[in-house]
Amino acid sequence: MSSTLTAPTDKPMLVANDIHRHFEGMHAVDGVSLDVIPGKITGLIGPNGAGKSTFMAVLAGTLPATSGTIVFDGEDITRMPAYMRARRRLVRTFQLPSEFAQLTVLENLLVAAPTNRGDSLFGALMGKRYWIEDERRLVGEARSLLKRFGMSAKESDYAGSMSGGQKRLIEIMRALMLHPSLLLLDEPMSGVHPKIVEEIQYYLQDLRAEGLTILMVEHELHMVERLCDTVVVMAQGKVIGSGTMTSLRRQREIVDAYLVG
Amino acid sequence: MNTYYAANLLIYAGIDIIACLALNLQFGVTGIVNFSFIVFQAVGAYAAAVLSMPPDTANGGFQHYIGGYSLPFPAPWVGGAVAGGLLAIPVGFVVLRKLRSDYQAIALLVLSVIANTVITNADKFLGGAAGISLVPPPLSDVINPNTEPYEYLYVGITAVCVVLALVVVNRVVNSPYGRSLRAMRERELAAAAIGKNPVQLKMTIFIVGGVIAGLSGAILVGFIQVWAPSVWLYPETIILFAAIIVGGRGNNVGAILGALLVPVGFEEVTRLLNNNASIANLGPPGLIPALQWVAIGLLILGFLWFRPQGVRPEPRRIFEGGPE
Ligand SMILES: Nc1ncnc2c1ncn2[C@@H]1O[C@H](COP(=O)(O)OP(=O)(O)OP(=O)(O)O)[C@@H](O)[C@H]1O
Ligand SMILES: [Mg+2]
Repeated sequence: MSSTLTAPTDKPMLVANDIHRHFEGMHAVDGVSLDVIPGKITGLIGPNGAGKSTFMAVLAGTLPATSGTIVFDGEDITRMPAYMRARRRLVRTFQLPSEFAQLTVLENLLVAAPTNRGDSLFGALMGKRYWIEDERRLVGEARSLLKRFGMSAKESDYAGSMSGGQKRLIEIMRALMLHPSLLLLDEPMSGVHPKIVEEIQYYLQDLRAEGLTILMVEHELHMVERLCDTVVVMAQGKVIGSGTMTSLRRQREIVDAYLVG
Repeated sequence: MNTYYAANLLIYAGIDIIACLALNLQFGVTGIVNFSFIVFQAVGAYAAAVLSMPPDTANGGFQHYIGGYSLPFPAPWVGGAVAGGLLAIPVGFVVLRKLRSDYQAIALLVLSVIANTVITNADKFLGGAAGISLVPPPLSDVINPNTEPYEYLYVGITAVCVVLALVVVNRVVNSPYGRSLRAMRERELAAAAIGKNPVQLKMTIFIVGGVIAGLSGAILVGFIQVWAPSVWLYPETIILFAAIIVGGRGNNVGAILGALLVPVGFEEVTRLLNNNASIANLGPPGLIPALQWVAIGLLILGFLWFRPQGVRPEPRRIFEGGPE
């Protein structure tokens, strides 16, 4: 009964509590706590080496946390492997290109689809007729994403032969094929053509309007200002401030640490 | 070319094709560098042998092995396949779960050497160094194995197994599941980040490959009727890897071509050279087999250098209804 009193959208979707990640004595992430509010885009900014990517990896499970807890959708996922988090719709992208080079662009998208009957040994052995319908549906879905991002003409090219910006797009589309509920983006715009940057920006706004929650690392502060509802600032493994971009600009130590110089 | 020779060639070709298809699935498609592949063929052969043979007290008890169940065909072959799959479970569990992939390859190579040494020295277990002989050929109670029709029959059963193996690997490789395997081969961490469980995928393919390898061993032992550690030394695995690299990693047709070009081709060339007295007497004894290893090494290096994708590269998948 009490749950009807608090608006469900205010309850954080992900709560990271006192996360530490050490690399042999190097405290890359040093006690970060952070809430991700559903339906919003949260920005994560900070100087190089602040520990942003490491923190994102810990959230996605591609790196285990040294200590701390992560609760996602009310479930403690701290010890859950990355692939299970992805199946629970907590999906990350990587800062460095991470395409499947010897798969075509279209295949890079298709492979991420979580609901293909042919994506198990049993389904595969049953033969094409068993899974072709799923495959057709997913090809359609993947092609509409490719069209949206202006990459239709490239669908049959190997992903490894694409430019840096195109690889970035492939990775975002691949993540979207999973229908994420929380998307972790690590510098999604770096190396992308300005026209496409705008396209990504609109697309992310559309996705937010449809209820997708996003946590993104981004260096380009204008982009952060335009896209993000709240911003968290990290430096040297710690959170040094959070709030809207406007309020952050008023805080002297944050400006000193990062926003200028 | 007499029938015996032709049948012999076809059966060996069939066995090598089956083995190469399994190794291609593991190495070419999934990226598991299974340097102990031959052990899985061996365990299939041993299992098929002891399942089809009488207890070792028969034949005057001149050899020692466990079991001896006198099971009729096809039970020993099924048993050989199952044994290959069963062996893959503990091996995969130890090797594939935690180790980095380059260490996996080394661990599997070491395993191959250790397994061979252990079986060689445990002479009461599976015949030791001398191995097992007088393995009854399948269906020998129904049809005399020393006849021409039996040769045809054996070729026929081998062909059925080749087709079976080909259907299985083709279905796996050309399915969405095969796509997940290839994605994991390309970038394991990114595959995990999109919901693929790398350990489970590798374990599954390790077992499937083990089953097919075990079957190839069962076919081989039924044909040559003996099995001993000297026929499954680790270099045999290297020959199969050479076949995959030459034929084309990730391509099933390439694996078949590789099987015909490398293991079958080399055996034949060596045999022909040895049969030619003027060549066979050149140099010290054992020169030609030794040169065979040099040739295989050069072949692998040559292909990796000049044509790493092999004779038949992995096909690019193009989907209907796209642009162009
Ligand atoms: N695998 C690793 N082993 C050792 N040190 C690491 C590892 N990964 C990251 N680090 C170190 O941890 C610190 C934080 O790195 P991280 O990549 O998280 O920073 P970042 O905020 O994402 O920086 P950037 O803006 O440059 O991407 C850096 O000093 C980095 O050198
Ligand atoms: Mg980073």
